Amino acid sequence: MNKCYSYKSVALLAAVISLFAFSGQASAGDELNCVMCHKHRGLSRIDENGEFRLFYINQELFDSGPHRRNKCKDCHTDIDRIPHKPAQKVDCAQECHIVEPSGKRNFTHKPIAETLARSAHGKLDAEGNPKLFQEDYPACKDCHDQPFYRPVSVYKGTVHPGVSERAISRCKSCHKSGDFAEDFYEHVTSRLRKTRFPTETIDVCAKCHQDPQFRKRHELDDVVTTYKQTFHGKLIALGSEKTPDCLDCHVVAGENTHLIESQTVPTSAVYKENVPATCRTEECHTRAGPNLAGFQTHVTYEREKYPMQFYMLMGFKGLMAVVLYFFLTLIFLELLRRLFPNFTFIKDKNEGEDPQQRGR
Amino acid sequence: MPRYDPIVYKDGKRYFYRFSVHQRVQHVILFSSVLLLALTGFPLRHAEEPWAKPLYDFMGGPDIAPLIHRAAGTVLLGLFVYHTIYWIVLFIRNDLGKLKAEGRLSFRSGVKAFFSQEMIPNRKDVRDFVQLWKYLLYFTNRPPRHDKMSWREKFDYFAPYWGIPILGPAGVVLWWRDEISHIVPGIVLNAAYIMHTDEALLAVLFLFFVHWYNVHYAPEKFPAATVWLTGYLTENEMIHEHYALYVKVMIEEGLEDEIKPQHFAGQEYDW
Repeated sequence: MNKCYSYKSVALLAAVISLFAFSGQASAGDELNCVMCHKHRGLSRIDENGEFRLFYINQELFDSGPHRRNKCKDCHTDIDRIPHKPAQKVDCAQECHIVEPSGKRNFTHKPIAETLARSAHGKLDAEGNPKLFQEDYPACKDCHDQPFYRPVSVYKGTVHPGVSERAISRCKSCHKSGDFAEDFYEHVTSRLRKTRFPTETIDVCAKCHQDPQFRKRHELDDVVTTYKQTFHGKLIALGSEKTPDCLDCHVVAGENTHLIESQTVPTSAVYKENVPATCRTEECHTRAGPNLAGFQTHVTYEREKYPMQFYMLMGFKGLMAVVLYFFLTLIFLELLRRLFPNFTFIKDKNEGEDPQQRGR
Repeated sequence: MPRYDPIVYKDGKRYFYRFSVHQRVQHVILFSSVLLLALTGFPLRHAEEPWAKPLYDFMGGPDIAPLIHRAAGTVLLGLFVYHTIYWIVLFIRNDLGKLKAEGRLSFRSGVKAFFSQEMIPNRKDVRDFVQLWKYLLYFTNRPPRHDKMSWREKFDYFAPYWGIPILGPAGVVLWWRDEISHIVPGIVLNAAYIMHTDEALLAVLFLFFVHWYNVHYAPEKFPAATVWLTGYLTENEMIHEHYALYVKVMIEEGLEDEIKPQHFAGQEYDW
């Protein structure tokens, strides 16, 4: 993902997000006392590629994020002494030392990485050969750069963002020790709503799919712009959260969101035969017939690909130009005529005073 | 049907009858529904523009604005059907009824009567059109002398008759997309989308520039013409826009001696 993405943007984003982050509890993970250095806002350097790197860690932001129970070394495994050499990039698929309560095993994002590898975004094709332009295929952090964490506060039928103190008090009557109740409340409730607003999801996809160089390399249409021209995209731009974003149509209902497949793959949500089922999912076009699948969503108005749309658009534009230019010219000349009401090259001979003649 | 005097006097000024209450009410319903449709439709059409979200929120947001849009659309389609029936009834009762009473009703005379209705374009419109361009390009100093309906007013009148048959069915298809997808191919929805959004842009630009110029922005009309409320035209408007009718009405009312000369450019207007 060269060019699409850099640490600089993450750092800037982190700084912006920190404005919104609510105050957290003391960090559990810093056994090596990393923040002794990394708490300094100016901790940065220009790396070998000439890119600006910011190493500042915002403690408040970290403590409100999903990884706050991880120790630094859980992810940055190659650091074994202080001061340390430049660290390796974090591999999200490695095991961390958080024990997963359901299976009593160490937690890892590996299954997600495996799902992603099977999807259209995987680096290998079906035969296991590397795809062209390897660097364009996303890794975890290319999409998950905004650690928004939005628990919902549900109590007596009212729903609003945040941790519900009233609700959590019921958990705490048994789960008294540490932050266990808070952590699990957030863990569960953050999944009860969309973790991103639809506009954020669209922006994540747009980072690559709207980049002209990227689209040229992979011979892709500008699906983001064309999506934004649909009623789905427009309603989302106007603040609707009930309208589908990219993931709602490109992930099979109930399937892992990381398994986005190409429209040529028979199991894909947007494979021709599967589109009716995708449109007809529970919340959407429930009463739709199979023909709804014939609706073309990502219309580029190119003459070769979408001739009907191209000629209709040209027709309406032409009609509009003819009607409006005609009347605007007329209005302009009429306003001009008022300045010289009586001037004429040829005097009208019939300008008689006989009123009977006037009505002609 | 109430009878309207062709000329009424108020504060010593002459006013000329133009629209019945029935017609004026239809116009109010027409423009109210069109304005609501535009206010709830255009923020969606231009959702990426900065003004779109505030306006859409003002109109009720994603939950309410579509309901307003569909309600207004239903009213407009209803009015369209009603007006067409109203037109046909008037034609049968007045024009054909008159022919029948005179015993001259035949296919030929019926067709002739249809084309001599005041809203139907005729040869005089072509002459007026040519005369207007001659006048605008300084080849004559006599502006056209329109009858009750000038060619521009006929164009205005028939614009909904071209716009609504495109916008209305396309809107219905988009509204009932799920049900309609059992009957027609999905690409019909793509066509309906273009028809609805692009014809709407043409309609709104035409209304807000051309029609509003005619009744709002034109110097002698600004800020607004009043005929849509009162049903009567002032004498100046009558002379300026309907001189042929003006002369005819004045002669019929026995006011031949008080006919004023045709003028243009508002020398005699008080603005």
